[in-house]
Amino acid sequence: MDLNPDVFIQILFWGLYAGCIYILLATGLNLIFGVMKIVNFAHGEFLMIGAYITLLFLALTGFNPYVLLLASMPMVIGIGIMVERLCFRPILGTGKLNEIFVSLGLIYIFQNGVALIWTDEWKTIPSPFVDITVSIGSLKLPLDYLIIIILTVGILAGLHIFLRKTSLGRAIRATSQNRKAAMLMGINVERMDMLSFGIGTGLAAGAGTLWAVSGQVFNPYMGSIPAIKTFAIVILGGLGSIPGAIVGGLLLGITENIATFTLGGAWKDAISFILLIVVLIIRPTGIFGEAGE
Amino acid sequence: MNHKLLTALAILLVAAASAGCSEQQQSENEIRVGVVASMTGPASTTGKDIWQSAVLAAEEINADGGVFVQDLNRQVPIRLIQGDDESTREGGLKAVSKLITQDDVDLLVGGFSSAVVLAHQSIVADHRVPYIISGASSTAVSARDDIDTQYMFYHRPNTDDSSGVATLFIGDVLRPAINAKFNFPDDRPLRLAIIYQDSPYGKGHLSAIHNTIEAHDLNIEVVAEESFKMGESDFRTILTSVKAARPDAVYAVTFLNEQIPLVQQARRDVGLDTIFLTIEPNDDPDYYSGVGRYGEFSMLESRFSPYAAPKGPTGSAISEFVDKFNARWGGFPGMMGAATYESIYIAAQAIENAGTLDKAKVRDALDALEMPQMIEAMQGGVIAFSDDYRESKFDLYMSQLIWDESVGELRPKIVWPDTLKETDLILPDWYTPGSE
Repeated sequence: MDLNPDVFIQILFWGLYAGCIYILLATGLNLIFGVMKIVNFAHGEFLMIGAYITLLFLALTGFNPYVLLLASMPMVIGIGIMVERLCFRPILGTGKLNEIFVSLGLIYIFQNGVALIWTDEWKTIPSPFVDITVSIGSLKLPLDYLIIIILTVGILAGLHIFLRKTSLGRAIRATSQNRKAAMLMGINVERMDMLSFGIGTGLAAGAGTLWAVSGQVFNPYMGSIPAIKTFAIVILGGLGSIPGAIVGGLLLGITENIATFTLGGAWKDAISFILLIVVLIIRPTGIFGEAGE
Repeated sequence: MNHKLLTALAILLVAAASAGCSEQQQSENEIRVGVVASMTGPASTTGKDIWQSAVLAAEEINADGGVFVQDLNRQVPIRLIQGDDESTREGGLKAVSKLITQDDVDLLVGGFSSAVVLAHQSIVADHRVPYIISGASSTAVSARDDIDTQYMFYHRPNTDDSSGVATLFIGDVLRPAINAKFNFPDDRPLRLAIIYQDSPYGKGHLSAIHNTIEAHDLNIEVVAEESFKMGESDFRTILTSVKAARPDAVYAVTFLNEQIPLVQQARRDVGLDTIFLTIEPNDDPDYYSGVGRYGEFSMLESRFSPYAAPKGPTGSAISEFVDKFNARWGGFPGMMGAATYESIYIAAQAIENAGTLDKAKVRDALDALEMPQMIEAMQGGVIAFSDDYRESKFDLYMSQLIWDESVGELRPKIVWPDTLKETDLILPDWYTPGSE
């Protein structure tokens, strides 16, 4: 095996790309957990729905699929808000088991619903930049992946500004930090739940669009594995911590790819959980988690 | 109170007896065939192909009055019962248990993934139900000796057959073609990279490639071996590693949903401009449309395609089957569909030969079966099961995918062996051979 620096940098680049998808998913999941303290096992299904909405709008409009982020994210935010309102709000505070079973039920509903509409055949979305590569030093990197990395940074920057600089964002953060105190300060916490659930699922949809455009195949059942890994990232980074989701996502993406290169592809999934166990032994609250969360 | 209890018991007994009669009548009025298919989960595209082809065959047989059963002295229609294995071992166990114990099927047909079939074979062995397996190519499925497999028959080539043919093609045809095109010495070995699914199916093919190289003393050097988990869709790192080994060709042991991103990512993202070889589960219309132009000039080991007919008598049977499938379902069948369609006819013939629905006699009839080939070209033109592991033997071939401008899709052309071929192998201008 050739271990020249170019190959290694290429592997790191693939890890960075994979990390971007994980970051968007994990950030959304952490936002939901941070505010509502619910564990949504159906989070991967919103990634899948994002991919299918992109496919639908591509067929309807023929627009550049990256532009269709403007369709998939708002639409899934709307779906997320409905799901929160109809499925999670009625059971909020009634026990973790109810939340788990509702989210498991949603997995089947979404998978079968999408299979009913689009069938369960594998789909792909072609990128308009498929043949364009960018030379960086001796490396030739496909433009699509650079766009995905830039868009991820852009989406995260937008989220950061929203959460830090707007009154709604501050209200979400306040609810996340202390729900009772937020209520006493006059914040409508149920509205914050709805909003954070919507934004969280919208981020998953963004990941779905980028996943589909990057040459991955998808079908109604494709959300499960990314969702499992996202849970590992969230625990790795620290429950409810958005910086933790970013660092955890990057760490997982890069570690998985280095493990695939050095140990073989069969280790790809196992390494996520080995990494998780190691981090939890050293720091049981995760990298950015705080005790008591 | 006692009177009421006695009345209730009597009603229950009558109801149970009636149910028994109805069950008995039902078993005489129809032949119940369980179709094991992945209707949901990652292999659902193939599962649908299996189910739709089975339905087509059963409808044709029933339109002719059904299967003549000597014991009953009349023709009996086939009723198919779907067993969705959910593309998982657990799903397969559940589906097959239900088909055998609740639906009381006379016979089973189907089975796709080797890992899934391996998991439910023991239930079939315990209940002694004849099972015509039309997928599950791993020899670990057919050659296992930890359970009694005498009720299981395999209407598919095994991994040794498929990868044996593809590896012989690499050694005898591809290697000389590369050496001739690039003026390499005749004795230059072909540098082969293997990417395989980490499953009994993948490992079976990996072992068959090595065994064929050794048995035929082929001048092939395996320069990279990379495995991946079933259902993987991101192959970029594996492909980067493979590219670093500078192969002349890449042999991918994959399923359809893995082969499409693998080839696309190799050509588009990693710049691996080489010849890709893969095996028959990927000979499917969804592959030609899904992989797009990136799959051009890649090679497929196969035995059935709706678009390629080997020279010989099966050509018209293929077109007829494809037309009927298209008329019934609106689309084209894949290879698993063809094998399952034939399997239903094999089941019908075995029952007719046995003259009864008795499972042991149907098994014996399958064992002794000899019927003319149908859609897929069989060795000797006959469908029969081998004496050792009860496997049918196919005439396999290699095809190359060529871009068809008129339909905007790839189409396979048979290039080997000479007895079946439609055209010659092409090494495209963009092809880059490997180097030390």
